[in-house]
Amino acid sequence: MRELWLIALLATAPAFAADEDAAALELADKTATQPERARDWHLFAEAAWSGVALRAIDATQQVERLSLGVSFDNVFSPDWRFVFADRFDAWWQQSPSRQYTVNTLQEAYLSWQPQPNAIADLGRINTRYGVAYAYNPTDYFRTDAVRATVSADPAVQRENRLGTVAARGQALWNGGSVTALYSPRLADRPNDIAFDPDFGATNNTDRWLVAGSQRLSDQFSPQWLVFGTAGEPPQVGLNATALLNDATVLALEWSGGRSDSLIVQALSLPADTAFRSRLAASLTITTADKLSLTAEYHYNGAALDREHWDGLGRTSPASYARYRSYAASVQDPPTRHRVFLRAFWQDALVSHFDLTSYAFIDAVDHSRQFWVEARYHWTRLDLALQWQHNEGSPLSQYGALPAKSIVQGLARYFF
Amino acid sequence: MGWLGTLVLVLTGPAVAATTAQEILAASDAIRNPDRPFGLTVALVEYREGKQTDSTTLAVYSKSDPASGQFRSLIRFVAPARDANKLMLKSGNDLWFFDPASKASIRLSPQQRLLGQAANGDVVTVNLAKDYKAELVAEEDMQDGERQTRRCYKLALAAVSPDVTYHHIEMWIAVASDRPVKARFFSESDRLLKTAYYRRYQLQLGVERPTEMVIIDGLNPQWVTVMRYSDFAWRDVSEQWLQRDYLPRFKPE
Repeated sequence: MRELWLIALLATAPAFAADEDAAALELADKTATQPERARDWHLFAEAAWSGVALRAIDATQQVERLSLGVSFDNVFSPDWRFVFADRFDAWWQQSPSRQYTVNTLQEAYLSWQPQPNAIADLGRINTRYGVAYAYNPTDYFRTDAVRATVSADPAVQRENRLGTVAARGQALWNGGSVTALYSPRLADRPNDIAFDPDFGATNNTDRWLVAGSQRLSDQFSPQWLVFGTAGEPPQVGLNATALLNDATVLALEWSGGRSDSLIVQALSLPADTAFRSRLAASLTITTADKLSLTAEYHYNGAALDREHWDGLGRTSPASYARYRSYAASVQDPPTRHRVFLRAFWQDALVSHFDLTSYAFIDAVDHSRQFWVEARYHWTRLDLALQWQHNEGSPLSQYGALPAKSIVQGLARYFF
Repeated sequence: MGWLGTLVLVLTGPAVAATTAQEILAASDAIRNPDRPFGLTVALVEYREGKQTDSTTLAVYSKSDPASGQFRSLIRFVAPARDANKLMLKSGNDLWFFDPASKASIRLSPQQRLLGQAANGDVVTVNLAKDYKAELVAEEDMQDGERQTRRCYKLALAAVSPDVTYHHIEMWIAVASDRPVKARFFSESDRLLKTAYYRRYQLQLGVERPTEMVIIDGLNPQWVTVMRYSDFAWRDVSEQWLQRDYLPRFKPE
C-alpha cells in the first residue's frame, strides 16, 4: 500500500511543479512595475528614545533625539558634479535637564571629471579608507571627525562624521588607480558651536595622502597608502582582502611608521618616537541562511600595554581622563589588543527583520561591550530596538564608561 | 527526444553533439546579452504566498572582459529609498559593495546577498557558455513562459569552474530561434535551487531579447521573483571604472 502511495506521489510530482510554475507566471502577468527613477537628493528623519542606566549613581536617565539627514548629488554638466551631505542632531535629556544640538556638515565639494580616467575634487570631502569593520588604522582622516555620537555601533559612527577640506586628484587605469589628496590647515582647534562647519576639527594641521591600488590577479588587488602630517614622520598603510571560498572573506589592514606613543601625544610628554604598527585582521563567514559572522583582531602599537594601562588610572586620574579623551578623539583603542565579534542575520525568522549583535572584548583588561539590535523595515520606515551593555573593572576600557547599559528605540523614515 | 534527434546523436557521436550543444548555448547567450557595453534598469518584485513582499530598482552597467569573455557589472540601487545609491561591482567572484553613507567599500563573498531571494549573480549578465559545458540531452515540446508550446533543446550544463553561482543547470532553448525559454538551477548536492522562465521578448538593442525573468524558488515555489528589464541602452563603460576605487565615483546616466 505504501509503495502505491509513493508511486502515485511520484507520478503527480511533475503536475504539481507545472501548477506551481503556472501560478508563478500568473503572478508575473499581474505584476505592474514602474521602475523608479534615480533622484539626486535623499532625506531621512530619525527619532530615538533612550534609557541610560548610569554607573556612578543608581539612576536611569532618559534621552530623546531627533535627527535629520540630507544628501544631494548632482551632475550639472557632463564633466561636473556637486556632492553635499549634512546631518542635524538634537537631544533632550532629563535629570539633569539639558537640550543641545549639533550640525555635522559631512560633505560639500565640486568634482571635475574631464576624462573617464581622471578626476579632481575640491571642497569638504569625506574620504575613508580601510577594509576592517570596527577599527580602521588606514582611515587617516578619522581624527576628530565625529561631532555627534549617536551610537556605539562602529557602522553608525562612520556614517555620521565630518569630511576634511581638501584638494584631491585621482587617475585610473585598467585594474589600478592612484589618488593624491592635500588637506590644508584652516583653523586652530575644534569647537562645539552647533552650526559651525568646524574646520578646526578636520583642518587644524597640513596633511596629505597618496593611495594606490593595482590588481595583481583576478581576485587580489591590494591598496597601499602613504600619509603625512606636518612635522611628523609619514605613515604607510596596506589594505588587502582575499576570498577563501564562496562564503569566507579575509581582510587585513595595517598602518605603520615612526610616531610618538598615544600617551605622549595625549599628555604632551617628551617625545618617545619609535616605529609603531596598528593592525586589524578580520574573517567573515556567511551561511546560506543569510547569517554573517565576523571575528576581528585589533592591535594598536601606540596604545598602553597592560602594565602601564593598569598603573595610569591608579596613579593619576587626571592623566587617565585626558588619555581616554584623546584616544576617543583619534578613534584609537586605548589598549594594545582588542577582539571584535559580530553576527548579522538578515531576514531572521521573517523577511525584513534583521538581527545584529556585536561584542568588543578588550584583551588587555578583559572589559567588554555588548550590543544587540532588532530591526524591522518597511518600504520607507525602519523600527529598531537596541540594547548596549558595558562591563569590566572600574578603570577598564568599557567598565569605566558612564553608561552601564543603554536601551534605545528608534524610528527612521526615508523620504 | 524524438527518434530523429536520437538518430542524429547516435550518428554524429558525443563529441560533435557536445560542440553543437555549446554552440546552441552560446547562441542563446547572444540573445540575452548585447555584444557591446550596455546599461539597463532592473525592477525586481518579490512575492511570498502570492503577496508582494519587496520591490527593488537597480541600474546596471555591463561590459564583457576581453580576457575571460565574462561580463563585469556595476550595479546601483535606485529604490527603495533606504538603499538608494548603494553600489555593487561584480567581476566574476570578485564582489565589492559600496555604501555612500559610510563611504565603506566592503569585499563580499558570493554567499552574501544584497537582495531578497535573488542571488547577486541573478541580476547581472552572465555568459553561460563561458562557465558551463553543455550537453544536448533531449529535444522536446514544452510550455514556455507565455504558455505557448515550443519545440526546445534541453541542455544539461555542468560548471567548468567551482566559482560559479550554480553547480549545474538544465536549460531549454527554442529550436527555431535559440531563445532561452526556461532553466532549472541546481546545487552540488542536486537540490533544485530555482526555476527561471525567460519571457516578454521585445526588440532591444537590435535583437529580440527577453525583458522579463520569472524566478521560482526551488525549496518553496510560493517564493517568486519577477525581474523586469527596461531602459536598454548602449553605454560607454570605461575599462578603468571596473575596479573598487571607482565605486565612490560611479553615477549612472
